[in-house]
Amino acid sequence: MTVTFPQKGLPWLLLLPQLLVTAVFFLWPAEQALEQAFYREDAFGLSREFVGLENFADLFSDPLYYQSLVTTLVFSFSVAIAGLSVALLLAVMADRIIRGKLAYQTLLIWPYAVAPALAGVLWWILFDPSMGPIALWLGAAGVEWNHYLDGNQAMILVVIASTWKQISYNFLFFLAGLQAVPRSLIEAAAIDGASPFKRFWTIVFPLLSPTTFFLLVVNLVYAFFETFGVIDATTKGGPGQSTTTLVYKVFDDGFVGLDLGGSAAQSVILMGIVGLMTVVQFRFIERKVQYS
Amino acid sequence: MTDVILEKVGKTYPNGFHAIPSVDLSIEEGEFIVLVGPSGCGKSTLLRMVAGLESISTGELRIRGERMNDKEPADRDIAMVFQNYALYPHMTVYNNMAYGLKNRGMAKELIAEKVTDVATMLGLTELLQRKPRQLSGGQRQRVAMGRAMVRDPKVFLFDEPLSNLDAKLRVQMRVEIRQLQRKLGTTTLYVTHDQVEAMTLADRLVVLNKGKAEQIGTPMDLYNKPATPFVAAFIGSPSMNLLGANLTEQGIKVSDALTLPLSHRHRGSIVWGIRPEHLAVSDEQNADFALRIQAVESLGAETLIHGKIDTASGDGEPMVVRLSGPHLPDINSVMWLTAPAQHWHLFDAMTQQRL
Repeated sequence: MTVTFPQKGLPWLLLLPQLLVTAVFFLWPAEQALEQAFYREDAFGLSREFVGLENFADLFSDPLYYQSLVTTLVFSFSVAIAGLSVALLLAVMADRIIRGKLAYQTLLIWPYAVAPALAGVLWWILFDPSMGPIALWLGAAGVEWNHYLDGNQAMILVVIASTWKQISYNFLFFLAGLQAVPRSLIEAAAIDGASPFKRFWTIVFPLLSPTTFFLLVVNLVYAFFETFGVIDATTKGGPGQSTTTLVYKVFDDGFVGLDLGGSAAQSVILMGIVGLMTVVQFRFIERKVQYS
Repeated sequence: MTDVILEKVGKTYPNGFHAIPSVDLSIEEGEFIVLVGPSGCGKSTLLRMVAGLESISTGELRIRGERMNDKEPADRDIAMVFQNYALYPHMTVYNNMAYGLKNRGMAKELIAEKVTDVATMLGLTELLQRKPRQLSGGQRQRVAMGRAMVRDPKVFLFDEPLSNLDAKLRVQMRVEIRQLQRKLGTTTLYVTHDQVEAMTLADRLVVLNKGKAEQIGTPMDLYNKPATPFVAAFIGSPSMNLLGANLTEQGIKVSDALTLPLSHRHRGSIVWGIRPEHLAVSDEQNADFALRIQAVESLGAETLIHGKIDTASGDGEPMVVRLSGPHLPDINSVMWLTAPAQHWHLFDAMTQQRL
């Protein structure tokens, strides 16, 4: 359907609020970051000088930046794989139950409504080495838990906290995917002599692959860019650099280290990554995989 | 040799719904049995119970003498063709057919041989590397049958396999299924709601109504001697004319305008029936009754005339007459008809049983 307006002005007027929001909150900051990436500013913001690509050169010669990249990849893939596996398991179980189905599904969806920082605080309390119930329980079981000292434990903690929030989202998609698999296919496979386990891996899982691939990308993007709140509330990137992801490093270098130019340069690189991932998403995921 | 026996088989759902009270049926080896009935009569449920996809609440199912009630579908040595074909969409035609054999641990070479044989028989050789979505409806149907045949099971189960095809293809596949079944000699249980399909395919028919087997017999048995008004109405197209009547000293009193002479021991209310093709055109002297014509359907080879038994008040019972060849009587004109006694069907109105 096409709507035509008699005047040229009205469409622009109607678009104006959205355009304003985009300009003020997205385009302007992006432009500022881009500009700042080429300057070096003093800590008080009183003066700055143009340094060309020096901020980028510094970044690429800094071993800490590469370490952060590795941390980000480990973190993101851990979150994505853990989130997908647990959600798939829960969805398969939810698909089988008959009684109390709605209540069970609703409860599983709740964590998605919890703000990232709150999710972080929640897990921070549960795992607090001196008073967190899980940490104390682990201690009683012979595992000494202190994510303030142990970088691997800190990583496990942020992965758990970030995954927990994402499971609900994955669960919803997997459940919908499972319910779209025709019952008669499962029945045909049962008559064809496939065990329940085999039915899942040879029939159901392949039919879920478009959903799985979509969720993998969504989860990677989430772990890359939307877990700042969780990390800030649990480990603040520490101990050392062990949980400093690229996004956390932007904040840490810029607002704690007050290296605004370097921070801006990192932002520009992240913008590039987002752009790349968007292309991937549109190229491979928006193209519908169809079975009939 | 008796191949499949259903003994007082019943189905009650957990919510207390009695889908099937009790069905007895014994199927000979190589026999083609069609379960037919209107939707909701329990025919698919019964088939799924034989397949093992629904549990059997009461009674016993035996295949070749072995009790099957608690066996998994895979262990019953049956193969099923589903209404929507249920082909695995991510597998090629070859893999769809080989899947059941692979699961049973058959050697690769033997699988290839069997699949190729069946594909040749069904004319699927060219399509073996295609995915189901690249096939037409008829081809998918054939692959579904191939998947069932390749396992060489004791029993074939068909759940309305032709209802997703267009009319022309349906007739073609119907003939093909019958030929294949004869050739393979595999015992077959086939579910349909289409009485033409049922009549043409079956060695014996089971007419189901509300989970009860109304009558079991050959198509001609059911056509000539329907046991109940339900079977009488269900078998044959157009349906038999069935009218409420009274059996008295004078004979069958259908209405004020129609009394048919008959001496019969039975007295009281009955259902009187005659098939549209058994009513004959007559003249005013010899006719049993007059029909006021309301609609004419000309099909070329035959003509269906819908009307009412002519009365002064105009509220006579509706009747359908089937005449061979083209006829073009005027709407609202009167047609004189006889209802030959040898074609009457009488049922007790109370017990619904044939008299």
